[in-house]
Amino acid sequence: MELSESVQKGFQMLADPGCFDSNAFTLLLRAAFQSLLDAQADEAVLDHPDLKHIDPVVLKYCHAAAATYILEAGKHRADKSTLSTYLEDCKFDRERIELFCTEYQNNKNSLETLLGSIGRSLPHITDVSWRLEYQIKTNQLHKMYRPTYLVTLNVQNTDSQSYPEISFSCSMEQLQDLVGKLKDASKSLERATQL
Amino acid sequence: MLLELSEEHKEHLAFLPQVDSAVVAEFGRIAVEFLRRGANPKIYEGAARKLSVSSDTVQHGVEGLTYLLTESSKLMISELDFQDSVFVLGFSEELNKLLLQLYLDNRKEIRTILSELAPSLPSYHNLEWRLDVQLASRSLRQQIKPAVTIKLHLNQNGDHNTKVLQTDPATLLHLVQQLEQALEEMKTNHCRRVVRNIK
Repeated sequence: MELSESVQKGFQMLADPGCFDSNAFTLLLRAAFQSLLDAQADEAVLDHPDLKHIDPVVLKYCHAAAATYILEAGKHRADKSTLSTYLEDCKFDRERIELFCTEYQNNKNSLETLLGSIGRSLPHITDVSWRLEYQIKTNQLHKMYRPTYLVTLNVQNTDSQSYPEISFSCSMEQLQDLVGKLKDASKSLERATQL
Repeated sequence: MLLELSEEHKEHLAFLPQVDSAVVAEFGRIAVEFLRRGANPKIYEGAARKLSVSSDTVQHGVEGLTYLLTESSKLMISELDFQDSVFVLGFSEELNKLLLQLYLDNRKEIRTILSELAPSLPSYHNLEWRLDVQLASRSLRQQIKPAVTIKLHLNQNGDHNTKVLQTDPATLLHLVQQLEQALEEMKTNHCRRVVRNIK
């Protein structure tokens, strides 16, 4: 993991009991996790009365350092020993290391889910709807009598947050072909998971 | 159900009895070709010269024949109704028979061509799929995220277009289940009754 000097400096301040007493340390740590993981978190996350005595610039600096480190650790799936090593290097005492690791462990799943959901991918199919109709006539052709299906795929685009739909019509044979191919794909998937 | 032929239409068709049956058969062939591929004015001129008439007359004759065939095919009129409709033109027995044969021989194909004129949505052509597993991304390493990538081929008005999409295993199973239900619907009593009774 590559971490900048400012992260290290921020952590050294966090390690210092003169700067952050035990209570303040815990609060700041929790605030860092909260602002990353809680979708409703706002800027007031650092407004706790027990943090009022600390210089706001220092608070923000350390909060940013902690948040940066947490994201990097999550990205690289850091284990406890990696975390401990880095925190020791920053002169954390045993108690604070334990606290950090515990908080990290508690939030690890949400963190990884959040990081995993960032990124671009192809438009993603979320649902399908279908309609079966029986065509009787058109203005060009009377007495048709043909059943057709109208299939709509609901699609979600990751970046644009738009929800276009893809609609197409098909005959019964074509739908059977489509379903057959999708079944092949899911059987293949099943076999792959059993390897 | 009888075909109603307008005066203009009857006039155009009035050319047919003036030529012999081989020519009418040829016109029939040209008319169907016209439907398949569009009109070719050069053919009209060649025929006009051979028959010593104006190319307009030939064109009207062929167009009249085309319209007769397409209207009959569109309405899917029975043999008897066709014969009765043509009877009003006062043609010879032989010509009537020829026209009937022309109708019966080409009806299916003409109906296929006419069905392509209907308003349509893109229609399904083919589906290709691929299993992928995402192992890492810029924001998270060491992942195992299975996905199914799908290339859907669609046709619209002759244009072929493809869409590349993705889905996860759970949604794939859901898609299969939903679409299988759609197929099952055709086999229900309700649908069977409708298909049987609306003809």
